[in-house]
Amino acid sequence: MSDYLLLIVAAILVNNIILARYLGNCPFLGVSQKMDTAVGMGMAVVFVVTIAGMITWVVQYAILNPLGLEYLRTIAFILVIASLVQLVEMFLQKSIPALYKALGIFLPLITTNCAVLGIAIINIQEEFNFMQTVVFSFASAVGFSLAMVLLASLRERFPTARIPLPFAGMPIAMITVGLLALSFLGFTGLVK
Amino acid sequence: MLAAGLAIGGLGLLAGVGLAVASRVFYVYVDPLIIEVEEALPGANCGGCGLPGCSSAAQAIVVGHLAPNACVGGGADVHEKVAEILGVEVELKEPEIAQIGCRYSVAKADIKYLYDGVNDCRAAMLLHGGAKECPIGCIGLGSCISVCPFGALSMGDDGLPVVHEDICTGCGTCVRTCPKGIISLTSVSNRILGEFTTDECTAPCQRTCPAGINIPEQIRQTAMGNYLEALRVIKERNPLPLVCGRICPHPCEFECRRNLEDEPVAINYLKRFVSDYERESGQRLELFKAPETGRRLAVVGGGAEGLTAACFLARLGHSPTIFEAMPALGGLLRTVIPDSRLPKDVLDWDIEGILELGVEAKTGKALGKDFTVASLLQEGYETVLLATGGWDAMLMRGQEPNLDQAIPGLYQLLPLSLAWAQGMDVPMGKRVVIAGGGDLALDAAKKCMQSGAEQVTVLYHRSQKEVGLTDSEVAQLGEQSILVHFRATLSQFKGVDDQLTQLVYRQTASSNGSEARGLVLSRFKETAIAVDTVITASGRLPEMIFVRVPGLEGEEAPLLWQTILPYHKPARTKPEALFAPTEPMSDYRAAVEAIGAGRRSASSIHLYLTGKQIVPPENMITAETEVLDVKQVVELLPVGPRQKMPERPAAERIDPALEVELGLDEEMVRNESVRCLNCGLICYVRSKYH
Repeated sequence: MSDYLLLIVAAILVNNIILARYLGNCPFLGVSQKMDTAVGMGMAVVFVVTIAGMITWVVQYAILNPLGLEYLRTIAFILVIASLVQLVEMFLQKSIPALYKALGIFLPLITTNCAVLGIAIINIQEEFNFMQTVVFSFASAVGFSLAMVLLASLRERFPTARIPLPFAGMPIAMITVGLLALSFLGFTGLVK
Repeated sequence: MLAAGLAIGGLGLLAGVGLAVASRVFYVYVDPLIIEVEEALPGANCGGCGLPGCSSAAQAIVVGHLAPNACVGGGADVHEKVAEILGVEVELKEPEIAQIGCRYSVAKADIKYLYDGVNDCRAAMLLHGGAKECPIGCIGLGSCISVCPFGALSMGDDGLPVVHEDICTGCGTCVRTCPKGIISLTSVSNRILGEFTTDECTAPCQRTCPAGINIPEQIRQTAMGNYLEALRVIKERNPLPLVCGRICPHPCEFECRRNLEDEPVAINYLKRFVSDYERESGQRLELFKAPETGRRLAVVGGGAEGLTAACFLARLGHSPTIFEAMPALGGLLRTVIPDSRLPKDVLDWDIEGILELGVEAKTGKALGKDFTVASLLQEGYETVLLATGGWDAMLMRGQEPNLDQAIPGLYQLLPLSLAWAQGMDVPMGKRVVIAGGGDLALDAAKKCMQSGAEQVTVLYHRSQKEVGLTDSEVAQLGEQSILVHFRATLSQFKGVDDQLTQLVYRQTASSNGSEARGLVLSRFKETAIAVDTVITASGRLPEMIFVRVPGLEGEEAPLLWQTILPYHKPARTKPEALFAPTEPMSDYRAAVEAIGAGRRSASSIHLYLTGKQIVPPENMITAETEVLDVKQVVELLPVGPRQKMPERPAAERIDPALEVELGLDEEMVRNESVRCLNCGLICYVRSKYH
């Protein structure tokens, strides 16, 4: 049990998917200007990454490994994730319209999110078993959401902050992200 | 190699088939129109329309929450394509341009403290709503300028943002950013439709003006010598400036802030000057008209009110027709006011100006005689506005009691009583309602019962105590099939063809029997009753709008109609109703009040035609609204005294056709217009700024 706890802490804080592994920077900077969109994106990512982690694990061990096609992992995973997102979108629209509306345009945006692919591949590289895969995928996505929410809460203060003109906009956001990543560096060593 | 291809191909096939199956299993019906519209939209998800993405915009457009031309990013091509899909014609959009509603910068206004914080209005706003005393004044840190995506705003020399009208696209970003809400998107139509609200910087004169003219702007333009611009400002609210310039009792001048120092600015003389200026030039000022909507509307009554309503309806793009009982338009302005105050050629110039805007006029046609409300609606007029105004026409026309039914089934109590007194036999329906009229109403009720009515309902707007009837008297009347209701006022008529069938009355709650006058009685309940004949004690017909009730179609089908109430400038204590003593329509004291009411009627009709609710803005300024004001003026510029109106020498006044007041000359106008303090809510021009 404590293994799983360590896995979760490591995935959220120590090896934060964005701030330590630098994956998924596009949506991280793209939709973190407002808190509500950041939360929406975070929810969508948690949802998709957990499912994608499970499916890709099955694809890896049920199809690719037996056929000796491990080198096709990337293309196969992309294929699976893309169609999975489509499926999830349809399923939500039919069954849980409220959630579909809440996630809105964020769902299709995740299709090509490298964080999703990254987590799926890490699952394989680390040779996780299925349960570990589920836990790690979920925790990594929570880490993603945490970083999103942190950055959004900072960026929401930009309009009233005295920012030197050359830094206004994206530059100050990058600097903020850098400082955020530096502070997350402090978690290194928390879990050995 | 083969295995690899097969594996990936198989995986792809599986995913493809899976998705295809899923799309059937999870199929959600989406209006094909929505999909089509979405495809026509640019798909940029820019959010300019106010919705998060193009797909939600498409949905809103199809449902009707957004106009086909709502897409800001798409431009005219997209608008046309969307309109084509929906099968509607795209409504040509009048450009809306941002306007700054504050005229005194922080340097010139009274301030509460010196602000030295974050250089952003939204941050300054957090500190007691900004440094200015005025709660709605510009903070002046230029947040609107930095957010404008088109660079259409810049900071002017006077510390207030300036809009560059040629660059402004009317996107509304600055409007949403300004924490004070002083920037508004404005167009001529908006200015015609608008009412002054507590969120706006208004001067005492313009708040008082029954027509609501933007007087400070009018005088500012006059002082700069832009006489025609000043006239344009006036004509956005008052289409009869020559008339008003002569006969207006100018309540604005009583409220002029200069009264605190010396004498009021001669606002009305200045108005007369600029309107005379246009007339003497012989060249009529070109006025903006909204794109044609092709909707035909009828206005009954060609007096100040009807002319105003028709004029503004035409300027809003509709096609109004005025029906006037007299041989010429003008109403009381033509028949009652002497030439020495209002020469006929002056009146004609104003009326011609209105007709040239595309207003049709049919004179010598009386409602109830030559045509009826139902016949107008049948002819294709979408609405019929009753603006017969403040003339006891029913009594004045001839010696015979006039029993013409302007509104089907409606008699007026006085002519009816006269007719009865002369022994005339008046046809009476089975169910009669009598509205108002004191004891005479009860006499009439009994007379109605004798003339064939089976049930009479008397509606008193006053309470039982005020009317002075005891419970036993009411019960006694009830035994004679005469029902009496108190605190009740009419609010709606409904009918079929030329037959009145139903009316609705409002009853305000009696507050525990306490008869305190002036109590807020906004809560009321509405009751509909079937009726054949209605008798009103009022000598006048209040204005109301008749519209068709959507029902059976076809040549032979009966025409269902009902009235809707235009919105008024209500006082808080008075419930809206027809024929009520508080009803502002029935008793105009001046043409300018009729003009204000005419504009509101036009505005109400426009709201009705565009499917909006007919209510004024919630925070509209009324006579009883508390507005921030100043009680004394200091440090004024030294200016001359109020100009005196030159008058015809007494010896020449024998001829009644000659006008007595001659009008100011340009020199006098210059001296008079600089006397204006260009007031805002609490700001005004002070010498120390100059």
